[in-house]
Amino acid sequence: MTRSSSEPKNKFSRRTLLKGAAAGGAVVATQGVGGFPTVWAQNTKDVTLVHAGGSYAAIKEIGDQATKDLGFKIVMQAITDDVQLNRSLTQPQTIDINNIDSTKLPYLLGKGAIAPIPVAKYKLWSETVPLFTKGAYPNGTMASTQGLAPIEAMFYADKDAKKLGGKPTEFLTMIPTIYNADTLGIRPDLVGGRDKITSWKDLLDPKFKGKTALVDYAPVGVMDVAMALESRGDFKYADKGNMTKDEIDKTIKIMIDLKKGGHFRSFWSTFDQSVNLMASGEVVVQSMWSPAVTAVRSRGIDCYYVPLKEGYRGWFVGLAPMAHLSGLKLDCAYEYMNWFNSGWQGGFIAKQGYYSAVPSTAKKFLTPEEWDYWYDGKPAAVDIKDPYGTLMEKKGSTRDGGAIWDRMGNIACWNTVMDEDRYLTRRWNEFVSS
Amino acid sequence: MAIVNPAAEAFAASDRAEPEAVEYPGERASWLQVAPLVVVLLLFFGLPMLVVLAVSFFDFSRTEIIPAFIFDNYIELFRSEVTLRLYASSLKFAAIVWAVTLVLGFNIAYFLVFHVRGLLFQIGLFLLCTVPFLTSNIIRMISWIPFLGRNGIFNQALQGAGVTSQPLEFLLFSDFAVIVAYVHLFTLFMVVPIFNSMARIDKSLLEAARDAGAGRFRVVAEVVWPLSRTGIALGSIFVVTLVMGDSFVVRTMSGGQSASVVSALQNEVAALQYPPAAASAVIMVIIVTLMVAGILRVVDVRKELAG
Amino acid sequence: MHGDDTRPWTFYAFAAFFTLFVLFLYGPMIVIYILSFQGPNGGMTFPLNGVSLHWFSALVSQTRVGDIAGSFVRSIGLAAIVAVITVALSVLAGLAFRRRFRGSAFAFYLAIASLIMPGLFVGLGIALTFRLLGLPTEWFTTGLGAQLTWTLPFGLLIMFAVLGRFNRSYEEAAIDLGATNWQKVREVTLPILLPGIIGVALFGFTLSYDEIARTALAAGARNTLPLEIWAMTTNVTSPTLYAVGAVTTIVSFIVIILALGSIAIVQRRRAAAGMRTE
Repeated sequence: MTRSSSEPKNKFSRRTLLKGAAAGGAVVATQGVGGFPTVWAQNTKDVTLVHAGGSYAAIKEIGDQATKDLGFKIVMQAITDDVQLNRSLTQPQTIDINNIDSTKLPYLLGKGAIAPIPVAKYKLWSETVPLFTKGAYPNGTMASTQGLAPIEAMFYADKDAKKLGGKPTEFLTMIPTIYNADTLGIRPDLVGGRDKITSWKDLLDPKFKGKTALVDYAPVGVMDVAMALESRGDFKYADKGNMTKDEIDKTIKIMIDLKKGGHFRSFWSTFDQSVNLMASGEVVVQSMWSPAVTAVRSRGIDCYYVPLKEGYRGWFVGLAPMAHLSGLKLDCAYEYMNWFNSGWQGGFIAKQGYYSAVPSTAKKFLTPEEWDYWYDGKPAAVDIKDPYGTLMEKKGSTRDGGAIWDRMGNIACWNTVMDEDRYLTRRWNEFVSS
Repeated sequence: MAIVNPAAEAFAASDRAEPEAVEYPGERASWLQVAPLVVVLLLFFGLPMLVVLAVSFFDFSRTEIIPAFIFDNYIELFRSEVTLRLYASSLKFAAIVWAVTLVLGFNIAYFLVFHVRGLLFQIGLFLLCTVPFLTSNIIRMISWIPFLGRNGIFNQALQGAGVTSQPLEFLLFSDFAVIVAYVHLFTLFMVVPIFNSMARIDKSLLEAARDAGAGRFRVVAEVVWPLSRTGIALGSIFVVTLVMGDSFVVRTMSGGQSASVVSALQNEVAALQYPPAAASAVIMVIIVTLMVAGILRVVDVRKELAG
Repeated sequence: MHGDDTRPWTFYAFAAFFTLFVLFLYGPMIVIYILSFQGPNGGMTFPLNGVSLHWFSALVSQTRVGDIAGSFVRSIGLAAIVAVITVALSVLAGLAFRRRFRGSAFAFYLAIASLIMPGLFVGLGIALTFRLLGLPTEWFTTGLGAQLTWTLPFGLLIMFAVLGRFNRSYEEAAIDLGATNWQKVREVTLPILLPGIIGVALFGFTLSYDEIARTALAAGARNTLPLEIWAMTTNVTSPTLYAVGAVTTIVSFIVIILALGSIAIVQRRRAAAGMRTE
């Protein structure tokens, strides 16, 4: 079946999709996403796509639901970041849909690993939050550009797809899917209350000597410290997300002093470690992810994700098809990526604390109470459960930090890849060995 | 070693026609026997290593790896003070772990060979020791926190028994924790070869020594120990190479605050800085191979075999 | 061994030492066993938040635990294949080293280098090499090969320990009695080496089962169990992992008891047969 003869069918089905979506209303999460598949089902039932990525996105349930809704098979493979990057370059044919973290994007540019996405192929562009389409918040203010901001990462300069454009063009590097604002998590019961920590500089407070932890990943670890130092007034950075050699030197030097003084209890390399560190009381202040905070809380242990004065550290991930895809497989890839942002996945992920790039579709797969809690920051009208039915928050609690734009609208800097990456790695190794 | 060995000669009878066979009887047969192993290793290790070696001479920018032939990566490696510290750290771990596992391994092997009666019991106790290893390493690493952490059961037991009043912090996320984990993981690698060597010791030798009036300790020191040296050498090779090549244990147990050659290497690979990482790997292999050669100087394992 | 039946005091000293060692080995395991009975809202550290079999049932019901079942099957299968191949190739190669031959140093140091090279680079090297050759990577081809680079050196070195001071007179006696080479190997050499061979098999199996670094980059699009678990720990923290540990232990104990039982039966039969031929 050639593409041209299937196109009219596509257009017809798209209208059906829009009608179906409009009539959707409050679709319960167990139902599939209506309006799919839009690619002729006969051909696709033998197609299998491998979606490889971090285990926060490459979740089996999502793959199963996609397979059900789309008619072709989606296989999820959960792998760690570094393996994913290396495999994308050395074994690209083992991945079909690449779940890319923004900070890995610069490494993949111009290597022929991933393919650019024409905006037209992404059917939900107009409903995607302006953070990705324009680099602005819904109220119009431009988002911070410290670090690798969405506006800088999302677009290729031109159709050659070799460099980043830094402003909206027709060629996307990836379809944005999941994002969040990260900050410090604390144990209010062990530090004396939720209000004891209000600013990034509290991370370095000697009161918490031996009870702090950061992530064992140079670009992020160093940025967290930079936030703390800037907040403490030590010095000001031109761009915390892209430091000069001099700024790196100054930051690492202070980190070495702190390490020798025993300020850090540990650096964690997996999510699970971060949860255990917090839950066991080994640390009381920690740079961690939102679901980790919920995981600790669901154990019955108090943990608070602090909305710090200076703002959050933001991150985002997306999907990109691998360059080796073509023909029917490529069509299916676009189909799948569109499906991914059409709500089911968004609703699922929301209950882990992550935001969907197209909240309007995710809303259809959340109960009104869940939407209020997760996106609008309103107090929970009922008990809030995670995607697997485990109790996460009791009725009446509010999401730490509030509504989506209270949090995402206060990003101080974005996760990043620095120009001086090589130098940073060297000095980070030095820090570890000191 | 031109000792007349009727078995070997009989085996290599077909090679008589060739002049080399006289110097190396049975060589043809040995080649055939060792070939499958060598082929597999060449294909899955040798070839890839040539690729890694080539990459170690490449140039690189932040996001590009540029095929070239430069020595910069090696020069930078040798000039950098970090390299020295990393090796010092790794070697320190290797030395301490080696010593501890040797003491533990020797005693355990001795117990199993000389004090446990019955093959069944020996195998049984041995298998008892291997059961924990069938649980994935990752899971066991995770369980160290609830075991040795501030609020872990070990600390709680100590405090409960009144031995300490405060939790011991150094038990976890420290060099101590790293060594404990290494010993935990690698002692068996010392036990197995030593066990095999000890099991071959002719018991009549021990009786003879005792009849000659040697005390228990002297028997061990002067009979058992020397006769187990192949096993000890092999066990040492295992432990040293395992520790030098590790990055996971040191990272997890020290909380990312202790250095090892390979974990630094891993940071570079994660940032796609292949060339310097490759150079580092090549150097590390050379250094550790030299260490192994050193161990083999002391105990010529191959000679023991062919003798 | 010792002519007398009473055990010397050193036996008790050693036995105590051994017991402490076993406790040390099982220390983390004990934590795992206790915590695998966590209540549904419990975490991976103490305190115990209620007691339940929740995480064991989660293991079989396949929710939220990634693809544990699939990757487990793959891992077991792969480990079995690796064990068999390792035994075959290591035993052969070990026998080869009993004679002097040209190239023996090369073969030996090839194995040593393979042992030393960080698994990360072996995996990377294989991935790059096979890409250059235009061949795909799969867990049962390149994943297998990558693991063999790890297990074969171990197997070879253990064979060295096993064959060291191997008493050739048994083999010579067999030849003198008219055995062909094949008969000699089958009836004399291998049975004597059997305990060592089982050791190599066990090593090969567990090394493969636990292997991460090499396999990660060479396994292709399907994970083995350690890879799956590792990926999970980056997003999920669940006592299911502890349940995995507890179940693995139970299964291993069953296997061991069966194995020991069968050895005991074989031994008894052999003894009876031996007596019958008197």
